[in-house]
Amino acid sequence: MEHERCYIYTPPEAEERPSKRQRTSDFNPQSQLAERLSTYRKIWAQQEQRIQATLEEADSKTQEKIVNFVSASAPVENAPQTSIPTGLVVAGPSIASHGPFFARLGRSIRDETNSAYVVLTSAESPNLKTLLKNLIKRVTSRIEEDDDDDIRPTASSRHGPKVLDFDLSHVQEWQKKNRTRSIVVALQDSEAFDTRILIELVDLFHCWLDRLPFVLLVGIATSTESFEDRLSGKSIRYLDGQKFDVTQSDVIIEKLFSATVANTDVPVRIGPDLSRRLLDRQKDHVQNVHDFIDGLKYAYMSHFYASYPTVLLKEKVAFKDLSSEAFEAVRNLPSFKRWVEELLDNNQAHDVRKLLESDQYLYQQVTEHIESGQNALNTLSNAATLLTCIRESLQMAPSIRLSNIWTRAAAGELSGAPLLRETLLSVKKASSDKLAPLFASLKELDIDTSPLDQDIFQKELEKLVEDNVGSGPLRSQDDVRNDSLRTTVIAQKVLLSKHKAALSEQDKAYSSLVARFNDGLERYFASAFIDPRTLFLSEILMYDLKSPHTEVFQPKPRFAMERALASPHDYLGCDCCSGKQGGESILSTTQPATAILYQLYLESGTLINVSDLWSAFNAIAGDDEDESKTM
Amino acid sequence: MLPDEILQTLNSEYPCRDSQIQQLAALYSQHLPSPPLLVAHGLTATGKTSIIKSYLRLSALPFAVVNSRECITGRHLLERIAAACLDALDEFGDEAVDRRPYARTENLSSLAVNLQRMLEARGKFVLVLDGIDKQREAPPTLMAALGRFGEMIPNLSIILISTLPLTHLIYTPSTPHIHFTPYPRSSLLTILSASPPKIFPTPPSTDQFPDYTPDLALEDDAWLWGRFTSAVYDSLTKHTGRDLDSFRAAAHKLWRPFVEPVVQGTFGTRDFSRLMVNRRVLFQGEEGVLDRIVASESTLADTTSASAAGLGSATPLAAKRRLRTLAHDLPYYTTHLLIAAYLASYNPSRTDVTYFMKHTDKRKNRRRTGAPGGTKSKHRKISRHLLTPSPFGLDRLLAIFRALLDGGVPQVADLYTQIATLTSMRLLIRAGGAGSADVLDPGTKWRVNFSWEYARSLGRTVNIEVGEYLVGGVD
Repeated sequence: MEHERCYIYTPPEAEERPSKRQRTSDFNPQSQLAERLSTYRKIWAQQEQRIQATLEEADSKTQEKIVNFVSASAPVENAPQTSIPTGLVVAGPSIASHGPFFARLGRSIRDETNSAYVVLTSAESPNLKTLLKNLIKRVTSRIEEDDDDDIRPTASSRHGPKVLDFDLSHVQEWQKKNRTRSIVVALQDSEAFDTRILIELVDLFHCWLDRLPFVLLVGIATSTESFEDRLSGKSIRYLDGQKFDVTQSDVIIEKLFSATVANTDVPVRIGPDLSRRLLDRQKDHVQNVHDFIDGLKYAYMSHFYASYPTVLLKEKVAFKDLSSEAFEAVRNLPSFKRWVEELLDNNQAHDVRKLLESDQYLYQQVTEHIESGQNALNTLSNAATLLTCIRESLQMAPSIRLSNIWTRAAAGELSGAPLLRETLLSVKKASSDKLAPLFASLKELDIDTSPLDQDIFQKELEKLVEDNVGSGPLRSQDDVRNDSLRTTVIAQKVLLSKHKAALSEQDKAYSSLVARFNDGLERYFASAFIDPRTLFLSEILMYDLKSPHTEVFQPKPRFAMERALASPHDYLGCDCCSGKQGGESILSTTQPATAILYQLYLESGTLINVSDLWSAFNAIAGDDEDESKTM
Repeated sequence: MLPDEILQTLNSEYPCRDSQIQQLAALYSQHLPSPPLLVAHGLTATGKTSIIKSYLRLSALPFAVVNSRECITGRHLLERIAAACLDALDEFGDEAVDRRPYARTENLSSLAVNLQRMLEARGKFVLVLDGIDKQREAPPTLMAALGRFGEMIPNLSIILISTLPLTHLIYTPSTPHIHFTPYPRSSLLTILSASPPKIFPTPPSTDQFPDYTPDLALEDDAWLWGRFTSAVYDSLTKHTGRDLDSFRAAAHKLWRPFVEPVVQGTFGTRDFSRLMVNRRVLFQGEEGVLDRIVASESTLADTTSASAAGLGSATPLAAKRRLRTLAHDLPYYTTHLLIAAYLASYNPSRTDVTYFMKHTDKRKNRRRTGAPGGTKSKHRKISRHLLTPSPFGLDRLLAIFRALLDGGVPQVADLYTQIATLTSMRLLIRAGGAGSADVLDPGTKWRVNFSWEYARSLGRTVNIEVGEYLVGGVD
């Protein structure tokens, strides 16, 4: 073997058949993939639209402020600027979202003010010269699109002294022709810029400020103080600015969640486990809006790709579009089995037989149940939003976010939970000056609260408040302030007794109003907070598989490698090295050489004697004639 | 313009610079010969550039000014000198100069040739090079060569403006120097009193105060401003920044909060001593002289309003604390990584066993705290958190990170990604191991790039008191 450059490896022929049987039937696992794909595209397009709208709305306020700042800081005639107008944009630690943010910002600055806008990143600015070249190229390139037919009177080499390509006189020439109000230069990732370059850039811009109207925008991931600390006092004196805070990414995530998952008009949702995982990842490891969106998208993709019955989610799916396999798949769903058992318990054996035999009947039932299931989930989302809103407007502590409440509701943990009881109790105790804003904010909510008859309550409340003659707000009978403690001493024992203060007429009326409202809420929540996993077809309406997400977004390469080396049986699945009763670190001859070596390495100290290692390995890996094979 | 008129105009425009202007006028006049080289030196904000420019403009000599700050390389400077001279000749001469021969000025010799050709058979020409000592990538022989240009081009005279005298760089003997001395206190006050700002942003209504005429207001402004500037100089800028720019900036920054009670009507315009007592906080704090990008009007206003409420000097500290809060929350594990990095930077590695081992010898596990009671060490030590961070290896960071966390680290925590992100945010920086392109090379040493306040506030977001883990304790 040693004298050959290469050789053909012939694996030892296995006598018996492979232990896993081959699939012989012509089953097509990807049937109706095209339909599922189109359904997915349609549904995801809606979601994407919501996401875009949410993102744009989230930073529109900041962008507007920045645009106003840029247009306000344009130089005025006859008033020389003494310092460069600077916007410090604190964009947060999610660096990946800085690029899109500055791109959007550039669009709105160009649209709304007459300015040139240039984004510079640290990667393309290793030194001042390159930075200036890039800057000049980008500022002046706009002109070439507009009018390149007239001869540009550049001071090129034929006409006189050559202007070097990092000389800002190029920009001056350009500015003379275009007369933009300001030249906005955005440093996207200021932290990664070399401090020396930043200082020189500021110095240079300040020199040219009497000829070129520069405005500097600085993207900051940490804090403005750390940016200031890096500059010298002289450079800071050249800058004069304002600070702009971009919306924190957890707030944006919350908004995204309520728009895409806890929304009422979503045909497919991700389940509680998966959403909890997505949100935890945001909290613990990365803060990145795009990561969240990608996770959501991947969930949708795998749902429609891997699950055949999702073809039923297509809008107005007709019976003739579906093959019998689809119904077979539905009949195999766990929720179908649960449902059938439920029907059998109710002595509806006839229906069950029909479901099992007639595809047509099953089709009818499925379409009905998909709609009712979607309605149930919408109601659930509604109720979660309502609960969050109530807690917010009553200012209850601790403040729990909608994502949290929704996840708990979707996991079926909320019906009768302490959180719900506590909220309802505070509604009971609320005085009229708290209840009125609550009603107002409920009205603003974009959800269907018709089962509560909230308008009637609101009108009644308004009337009561109008008639209220007393100075304070109306209080219900459960309000603590209506209680008084009475102590009685009988035979050296102190008795405490609670007494209700006498209620006025209006307070009584108010109390009954609150009680009715509370009852209504209780009924509504009880009907809304079901466990969605008990619904028939819940597997289709809700995607809650963790492992595809984990494998793609949170892989554990180290763990997998270590496990494969430490217990190769887990992966190989062969009989020879299956550890006897779970003895995982038993070294045996049959294990692969790498695994043996790895385990020997684990046992040894920091320094390994190669000769010892070899002899130990040899002792395990076998006899002399086998040596060539193990190599 | 006659020389006397020029002197008069300049003196009125730039007070307290009589001798320098006189020297300039003596050296550069229309008819008398001028020195081939002059060095004008002086500290920042002493009027070097503006006085020379205005003088040359008034004296009607042909001149060109090149600002070294605008030139990125030495070649760039040479090209700009040629271009500026051509522009100036165009402006002062009758017909345009043919520019074609001057297409390239690669080095000093070609500059000499170009200038020679340009100025042939012309009158006196003055070339001003501003801030020449700050030129980036200057050729080593630049100054010496400029000093000898006069030998080749008799009608050229060069003025070099620099911060310090350039005696050791110029090998030409007997180069005249003009020193622009720093302004003394009296001159600073004179210059600032030339343009007093208004006490009232909008003049008080004439109905209420019919006898407060604009003339009277001007008089009051000047009177109070004069007193105020001398107070600012004596209390603040004498110690922090004596140059005109920082003095002017500080005075203007403090003026609005200072006259606020007058505008509100609490004090009269001439109640200077009572005003001083009332607004003494302004002169005690450092807010007025600190440079900030974001105008900190709010903090100044806060301190003054708080002092009006009688809270005393505790408020400026509180205001400063508030400034140092985190702008954005970091994820849970990232926060722990940063705290671990801070501890790794500021704790000596031999103490790690004491602080981070979960179980160890009882004997060893005695934490040393600040100063053990009674026995103060003779040598005063600088508190560790005031020193520069020391570099640490990645494995130590990860070990401390795991020791800080309560439970284990989940397998899915992609720590390396987070470290890379922190590096690009410059919260962690690579201290050694340069040359390897891989950021996460195990041989790389790291340092933290944030301060104790930041680490503490980070710790508070995840309920870790960082001070407990820091050797020597803090505060």
